[in-house]
Amino acid sequence: MSSTPSIAPAPRFRISRHRILAWWGSGLACLLSLIGLLMCWFNPAIGAPLRPGLDFTGGTQIQLERACGVSCSALSSAQIQQPVARLQLPAEPGTPAPNLASAAVQVLDQGRSLVLRLPAVNPEQAAAVVAAVREVAGPLNASGTAVDTIGPTLGDQLLKGSLLSLLVSFAAIALYITFRYDRIFAGLALLCLAHDVLITCGVFAWLGLLSGIEVDSLFAVSLITVAGYSVTDTVVVFDRIREQKTLLAGLPMSEQVDVAVDATLTRSLYTSLTTLLPLVALIFFGGSTLFWFAVALTVGIAVGSWSSIGIAPTLLPLFSRR
Amino acid sequence: MARQQGWFALILALAIAAGALLVSFPLQLGLDLRGGSQLTLQVLPAGSIRSVQKEQLEAVKDVLERRINGLGVAESTLQTVGDDQLVLQLPGEQDPSRAAKVLGTTALLEFRAQRPGTEQEMTGLLKLKRQAQAVLNQSQVKAAAIANGQPVPPAVSIKAEELAEALTQLGISVPPGSSETEQLGLLLSTVNTKIVALYDPAELTGKDLTSAGRQQQQTGTGWEVTLAFNSEGGKKFAELTKGIAGTGRLLGIVLDGRSISEATVGPEFKPAGISGGAASITGNFTADEARDLEVQLRGGSLPLPVKLIEVRTVGPSLGAENIRSSLIAALSGLALVAVFMVVVYRLPGVVSVLALSLYSLFNLAVYALIPVTLSLPGIAGFILSIGMAVDANVLIFERVKEELRSGNTLIRSIDTGFSLAFSSILDGHVTGLISCAALFALGTGLVKGFAVTLAIGLLLSLFTALTCTRTLLRLLMSYPGLRRSTYFVPAAQLPASAS
Repeated sequence: MSSTPSIAPAPRFRISRHRILAWWGSGLACLLSLIGLLMCWFNPAIGAPLRPGLDFTGGTQIQLERACGVSCSALSSAQIQQPVARLQLPAEPGTPAPNLASAAVQVLDQGRSLVLRLPAVNPEQAAAVVAAVREVAGPLNASGTAVDTIGPTLGDQLLKGSLLSLLVSFAAIALYITFRYDRIFAGLALLCLAHDVLITCGVFAWLGLLSGIEVDSLFAVSLITVAGYSVTDTVVVFDRIREQKTLLAGLPMSEQVDVAVDATLTRSLYTSLTTLLPLVALIFFGGSTLFWFAVALTVGIAVGSWSSIGIAPTLLPLFSRR
Repeated sequence: MARQQGWFALILALAIAAGALLVSFPLQLGLDLRGGSQLTLQVLPAGSIRSVQKEQLEAVKDVLERRINGLGVAESTLQTVGDDQLVLQLPGEQDPSRAAKVLGTTALLEFRAQRPGTEQEMTGLLKLKRQAQAVLNQSQVKAAAIANGQPVPPAVSIKAEELAEALTQLGISVPPGSSETEQLGLLLSTVNTKIVALYDPAELTGKDLTSAGRQQQQTGTGWEVTLAFNSEGGKKFAELTKGIAGTGRLLGIVLDGRSISEATVGPEFKPAGISGGAASITGNFTADEARDLEVQLRGGSLPLPVKLIEVRTVGPSLGAENIRSSLIAALSGLALVAVFMVVVYRLPGVVSVLALSLYSLFNLAVYALIPVTLSLPGIAGFILSIGMAVDANVLIFERVKEELRSGNTLIRSIDTGFSLAFSSILDGHVTGLISCAALFALGTGLVKGFAVTLAIGLLLSLFTALTCTRTLLRLLMSYPGLRRSTYFVPAAQLPASAS
């Protein structure tokens, strides 16, 4: 305690001076996210806070590649949709054959590939659908075919499992921080975590509303990863505040926070950057399957490092009794 | 320094071991990377069983394994997942419909005698069944006749009013707008359940079989499935047939609650029944149907019904494309991080790149050792963990820089940097592992795979950051030529005394 200035130089950047701005920014983002989620929920075509994908609704998705290279004839989705809707499926004993009138067809890559969305069908029925498409679209490349069928019960299980694991990991992390630090830190870490998860969900709610992007089980995975990352990031700042506590005991809390944030700022920005760099690589080169997964993680991690700098530390002075 | 050299030797040995491991045990690729089919079956509780127990799941697995072996699929794997699910992987299989059919049904075979006094009702039902079947099967029959060069049989049809009458008689309400084929299908399934209702409860079931086979029918084009009973089954069968021989009542063969064959037993069997412990089912099967039934009967019936809840099929070229794109993403991600670290942190940056390469090597070796089946989300988890593994290095190096700036000597700064960064590194990793544990315990297939790869990554990054980076850095510091603060921090940021 001999020479405080040499241990903690005056911070170059004082986060507390900008805290009103930071709170407004985050508050607005949260509000927009909530609006997006609610609009999704009350949208009759979606009916859920996020547009659920095949993994959650159940159904069959058939992805086909036409074996015609560059000389593919033009094809409209209606040309495929009509024969598929009329198709007589081989029935399974005991259950009625699914009705294909609701089948949706997407034509991609200038007609080279097709994606069909159907109610859940069994493999034999899926083969019948592929055969029907072949009649209209010409020869198909068998090795480029992918068929995914998810029963409705599985989607339900997946949803419950994802939500439950999210909640359980929240609770376990809160317990751990309470044990290592104290209740206020744990509360703030959870608040930040909720903030990060809410905004990530909000972005996808808007994406779902505006361009029909659906969330799948990988999205659930990315949310949980974001939650873990958010806490890790917040903990580093808290760790620094605790470390300085005895050294800076004379200063008001907001000053202590400024010192800690300033000291960890470079680190926070750099670690987000090193995590974002591989994600950017995934977005550009990872292929279509991982694209939205990488986008969700990028959004979540960017928001997570923001909240660990701008939200958790600036709220600390309000709650701590000195 | 001797201690550092000991650590270095250990790390080197581990790296060599990891390399050797990767060469001798290649990585297992998931079906989304190599192409193939994956079927998930859920075991359903039935009867007095409210929830599926471990032993019942294993019993179902045993039966399914026997059926899969009967199908003759190469290198398939069947694993139990969670409390009540089984996952079957068929690498290279593009059409899982046969596997789905053979695995998805209970295959409970029952031999039941017709109840006395139901003869008239049975005759009517059988007539309807034959009619409906003839109309429904005629396209098949026609195709077979053309293929064999035989004359095409005359077209069979059923009059619309006859069909309507039959439907109302049986109390079937037809959904509006349904086609004739749909109506006939409905009729057939109702008739089959009505026939089953006319039988006595089963005395003899598939449990008493010792084997099953198939052969072409002597008359007609179909196939029949042959059965051999054990001694008790033979006795029961003789008694069953003795009871109805010569009465005109039928012997019903019922599979999963559907009547698949109705046989008459002639008066000559009145004294002793059909003995010899053998029987055959003449159900007008196609060759494939007969083979599938044979496989099912040999494997035995499932102790609990199963339901197919997920089927995923990926073509091999799509899998190859997935491998290619994720490999490019992983390598370019690593390269980006490496460039960033070297530019920002100089000498320790180079050390961290080395540590990161070791991290990737160890990671892959652990995947090969456990073994972890690498799927697309798993690879994504791995790529993400590269970014997070650097986090520990950044924390340490930032601390070292701080110490240097405040005028400490190089070696002391490094030591202090490591010890001060330790608690936040530990906290970060523990919270990450907590999320992984939650994901693993509560998530399903795909999510579980991601949790495992992320957890392995976290544990290894704790090791490489605290051991590899430190040892390599200390080792380099034993060369006086490298012991310069400017290799760590730009000279301008150092206090005058230290530089």
